[in-house]
Amino acid sequence: MAEVGEVTEGCRLPVLRRNQDNEDEWPLAEILSVKDISGRKLFYVHYIDFNKRLDEWVTHDRLDLKKIQFPKKEAKTPTKNGLPGSRPSSPEREVRKTLDLSLQPASTPASGKTLPIPVQITLRFNLPKEREAVPGEPDQPLSSSSCVQPNHRTTKRKVEVVSPATPVPASTETTQASVFPQNGSARRAVAAQPGRKRKSNCLGTDEDSQDSSDGIPSAPRMTGSLVSDRSHDDIITRMKNIECIELGRHRLKPWYFSPYPQELTTLPVLYLCEFCLKYVKSLKCLQRHLTKCDLRHPPGNEIYRKGTISFFEIDGRKNKSYSQNLCLLAKCFLDHKTLYYDTDPFLFYVMTEYDCKGFHIVGYFSKESTEDYNVACILTLPPYQRRGYGKLLIEFSYELSKVEGKTGTPEKPLSDLGLLSYRSYWSQTILEILMNLKSENGERPQITINEISEITSIKKEDVISTLQYLNLINYYKGQYILTLSEDIVDGHERAMLKRILRIDSKCLHFTPKDWSKRGKW
Amino acid sequence: MSKLSFRARALDAAKPLPIYRGKDMPDLNDCVSINRAVPQMPTGMEKEEESEHHLQRAISAQQVFREKKESMVIPVPEAESNVNYYNRLYKGEFKQPKQFIHIQPFNLDNEQPDYDMDSEDETLLNRLNRKMEIKPLQFEIMIDRLEKASSNQLVTLQEAKLLLNEDDYLIKAVYDYWVRKRKNCRGPSLIPQIKQEKRDGSTNNDPYVAFRRRTEKMQTRKNRKNDEASYEKMLKLRREFSRAITILEMIKRREKTKRELLHLTLEVVEKRYHLGDYGGEILNEVKLNRPDKEMSTTPATLHNGNHHKVQECKVKHPHHPSLKEDVSDVVRQKKKYPKKPKIESVITPQQPNTETLPVISKSDIKQYDFHSSDEDEFPQVPSPVSEPEEENDPDGPCAFRRRAGCQYYAPRLDQTNYSCEDSELAEFDKLRYRHCLTTLTVPRRCIGFARRRIGRGGRVIMDRISTEHDPVLKQIDPEMLNSFSSSSQTVDFSSNFSRTNASNKHCENRLSLSEILSNIRSCRLQCFQPRLLNLQDSDSEECTSRKPGQTVTNKRVSAASVALLNTSKNGISVTGGITEEQFQTHQQQLVQMQRQQLAQLQQKQQSQHSSQQTHPKAQGSSTSDCMSKTLDSASAHFAASAVVSAPAPSRSEVTKEQNTSHNNINGVVQPSGTSKTLYSTNMALSSSPGISAVQLVRTVGHSTTNHLIPALCTSSPQTLPMNNSCLTNAVHLNNVSVVSPVNVHINARTSAPSPTALKLATVAASMDRVPKVTPSSAISSIARENHEPERLGLNGIAETTVAMEVT
Repeated sequence: MAEVGEVTEGCRLPVLRRNQDNEDEWPLAEILSVKDISGRKLFYVHYIDFNKRLDEWVTHDRLDLKKIQFPKKEAKTPTKNGLPGSRPSSPEREVRKTLDLSLQPASTPASGKTLPIPVQITLRFNLPKEREAVPGEPDQPLSSSSCVQPNHRTTKRKVEVVSPATPVPASTETTQASVFPQNGSARRAVAAQPGRKRKSNCLGTDEDSQDSSDGIPSAPRMTGSLVSDRSHDDIITRMKNIECIELGRHRLKPWYFSPYPQELTTLPVLYLCEFCLKYVKSLKCLQRHLTKCDLRHPPGNEIYRKGTISFFEIDGRKNKSYSQNLCLLAKCFLDHKTLYYDTDPFLFYVMTEYDCKGFHIVGYFSKESTEDYNVACILTLPPYQRRGYGKLLIEFSYELSKVEGKTGTPEKPLSDLGLLSYRSYWSQTILEILMNLKSENGERPQITINEISEITSIKKEDVISTLQYLNLINYYKGQYILTLSEDIVDGHERAMLKRILRIDSKCLHFTPKDWSKRGKW
Repeated sequence: MSKLSFRARALDAAKPLPIYRGKDMPDLNDCVSINRAVPQMPTGMEKEEESEHHLQRAISAQQVFREKKESMVIPVPEAESNVNYYNRLYKGEFKQPKQFIHIQPFNLDNEQPDYDMDSEDETLLNRLNRKMEIKPLQFEIMIDRLEKASSNQLVTLQEAKLLLNEDDYLIKAVYDYWVRKRKNCRGPSLIPQIKQEKRDGSTNNDPYVAFRRRTEKMQTRKNRKNDEASYEKMLKLRREFSRAITILEMIKRREKTKRELLHLTLEVVEKRYHLGDYGGEILNEVKLNRPDKEMSTTPATLHNGNHHKVQECKVKHPHHPSLKEDVSDVVRQKKKYPKKPKIESVITPQQPNTETLPVISKSDIKQYDFHSSDEDEFPQVPSPVSEPEEENDPDGPCAFRRRAGCQYYAPRLDQTNYSCEDSELAEFDKLRYRHCLTTLTVPRRCIGFARRRIGRGGRVIMDRISTEHDPVLKQIDPEMLNSFSSSSQTVDFSSNFSRTNASNKHCENRLSLSEILSNIRSCRLQCFQPRLLNLQDSDSEECTSRKPGQTVTNKRVSAASVALLNTSKNGISVTGGITEEQFQTHQQQLVQMQRQQLAQLQQKQQSQHSSQQTHPKAQGSSTSDCMSKTLDSASAHFAASAVVSAPAPSRSEVTKEQNTSHNNINGVVQPSGTSKTLYSTNMALSSSPGISAVQLVRTVGHSTTNHLIPALCTSSPQTLPMNNSCLTNAVHLNNVSVVSPVNVHINARTSAPSPTALKLATVAASMDRVPKVTPSSAISSIARENHEPERLGLNGIAETTVAMEVT
């Protein structure tokens, strides 16, 4: 049993958390930060194997101090700013750490309750530094760093997955989660390799154009809107900095860090103008601002309107202040979004819902000129989530791609919600096509993957992965077939019933931008 | 069917896939899941996030239930939509327009202040409003301006007053409030702003810095090296193009001058025709009356043949220790006799008079006929006129051949007259004019009449000729000659100097030894013998002693200086040919001989000075010119030898020479009176400066300006303390014409009582203006001449392009 005072950054211990079903859980968490407010200690905890968006400040009474695991001595506590350079990197140490990682779980008693391994936490903190000095991959320091990181994390996670402290309903805990620690880490260590390759493959184009040859990891790639690596990940950006945002009728709890001006991060509430998204520190200021701001819709051209739903196109080059404000807001809900560079190369498509007060922002997606991606960032604001708006945004993005005559795919990495949304959209879209295929002259209907891709503007790889995910592809009598099982058809029909919001391409008035004229940035 | 024993083919995206519905699904046993055969597609998520509990749970739920379940949804932080003051905050309603909303660019900028008043400000406003009226917007504008005008440093009250167009009291109140508030402000500004990046890169990792500028780095990086290289190439290209322009402009100028010459010549011929001056008598008269004019004009004719100097050198290449301003004249005459029989009937009588402007032009014109604007330097190019003559030429292959582009000087008046009178003599001249009494250094003896040619590889070939004097000549002791030659040459070499008519004529007359000696003494007979450089010292002194006399008239001065320049140039031009000669044959012997000569000369210096000073002006000028020329050639040998061979002995010799010349130069600089001024400079130029110039050029390289340097050196004392300044000035020169005046001036100056190095420098500096002042184009042409020989002397350093530039 440790004292509260002993709880420092890097410690791991079960923390009380209430789940959606209003049940108390004690998932293993990691202390990322400690602060003292008028004598009362607060701990910023990250629930291991839960998304960062659930990280929160907790009081000491929610900590299970009996099961605390202190960080290993040799591992330094993460510095507050966690910036690289505070500790000289040494390849040997890196190697040793890696060994530790692979050995430790095996030596840990597999007695059900896994011992947390604090070492890993420090590893994580120090990764930015150490990655910079990782030898052996000199050609692509950036991409290598982006690869090394997940590797470590994966290893760490795997160990923790089995933590019984996380009460996961057994029914949903499928094979993937039920991994013994012993072979778990070992397996992961191997599995991380292909995963890494895959990742670099799917980001290959970007990383090539990136500063691959420079060896200067100081600046990330200039294309894309999402972080391609975690080299700039530090303790600051790992912690939410805004407590609450008021936007129109809504009060939003940010999920992630966002680089709003630092002096505003201490406010209990950050006020945003609903239409121009300007951030002010107080309600009074917002009031004053509203006397001067006469916007009632996003400051761009409306390119789609059906019912109350409208889309506005905003040029990140022409309307910088709105674009930046939008990005700052979006960053609160997008973990991998980067605001490192300006918004010039992006076009923003803001979806709004109209009421008598004006066009209220519901969500948006941004788009870059890059060949493959038709979406850079995509977000439905939390108040509108789980109401079909996300799918509407996705659908709209593919409608634009259809007008452009190209197939597209969202920029990677996807978030968990992004993956679910896209998979759902892809599934429904593809199933819709498959089920509507009529047999011609008595023969069995058939379709190629390319055809599906052309019809939907969904990139071929995404079509395949969806078919795979739905388990539709089978091998029968020497050829591949698509099988639509009863439950798939039923599930799809049920889902489509719920999907009321659809994009009507007739309502779209859109001329694709001439990206070549626009320049790359 | 063994389900797992086969390997499925890869999934082909272009191959149609039949679709089976649930009811007609094939037997499941026959159906093999191909998940293994088709590579698993990545989810596109970060690896570690893929395994997060809630996601996995949601995915499983979807796969199990084909539908989302509420409990399986990924939990997110809550959002509330119950802001109850919303309607009060966002007042009014907004009616949806029928048309799509279209934003006009820039209509958003309504110049509203970015600053938004807070409640603290409101308190202040309320307080202020008791005394005066201030609206919130007004206040915001004030704060906004103050904020935007200050960075880290706050604006002062004075500045604030300038910024704000308000009542002073209000400004003071708001300003004080602002300063206080700003101090308590945690942020860098009262208007919250996103942190900007700093250029030094220190903010690269600052998580609060956002929206950094995208640099151009990516676009240029790949080709940066190429960019640099191509930039340099472009620069070079530009330089070369501008050089081409210069060349073309010069060509244009040259052709214009040629045309002018042609017209003038035609005019003269016409006039003479009207006058009936078929024999050239009138012309001669005219010419006689104006001897100096000829001097100044001579250079004007020079500029055409620049590129063919080498040939000229061979021909007239004197190695004669004597002076010869008239070398040019003599040479010209030579060429005319043998080469132009056709014209001879009419023109020959004129030839002697060629010194007059028109005639000279005529010869030039002929040159033009051959090669006008044809820059070919091929010596083999036969001139139409000369060809027929060749057959008659007794010299056969060794005969002098007039070369296109060469300049040939008109013969001296006296000689020409003489030769004209005696046709027989003239005839003889044709055969012998190039043979002169020659003395060898090693073995030390007189070999009689001989003519020198330059053979292959630059070796000197002596063509001896038997004359009636041979027995007599054999008796001549070189020592005897030495004593004479040095003095005689300097005295009046012009008349019979080079292997010209004069000498020939003497030969023919079967002179006795005493006669010959006297002739030599009186410089009527040309005598060749290698000289020591030191000779020049004395010569120069003589020359300079004469110089004052020449400077009587402006024209004179210019003429003399011009001549000097010419000679110096010629001397140097000689260098090219002689260099090799000297080097390969008797370099060291020559050195010895010259030493001896020097010794003798020094003995005789005093007497010569006096006598020379009494010479008639015209002759004085001409002789001085001649002298300078010969001296130059001699010195040129040294310069050349130094450059070409640079053997240890000659080296030491050279240094010696330099020392002596230094002295002379110093003498020049200091007002040392008559004895050493002009010529010493010239000598300095031609001897040590010649060397140094050559060396300099060698080291400096090929650029035009560099070529100019030696030019300046020839005229300006290189060893002067002011050397550097002069040189630098020279380097700055862009034009030959600019240089030429300098030469002139310097020469003039040297004759002046107190020319200082400083003045030289200033002259050099002010050279830009000089060309305008100097009246005649002759000077510029001189300048050109000046440079060309040098270039030739530089043994190929000069390139055609450079030559063109100079002209």
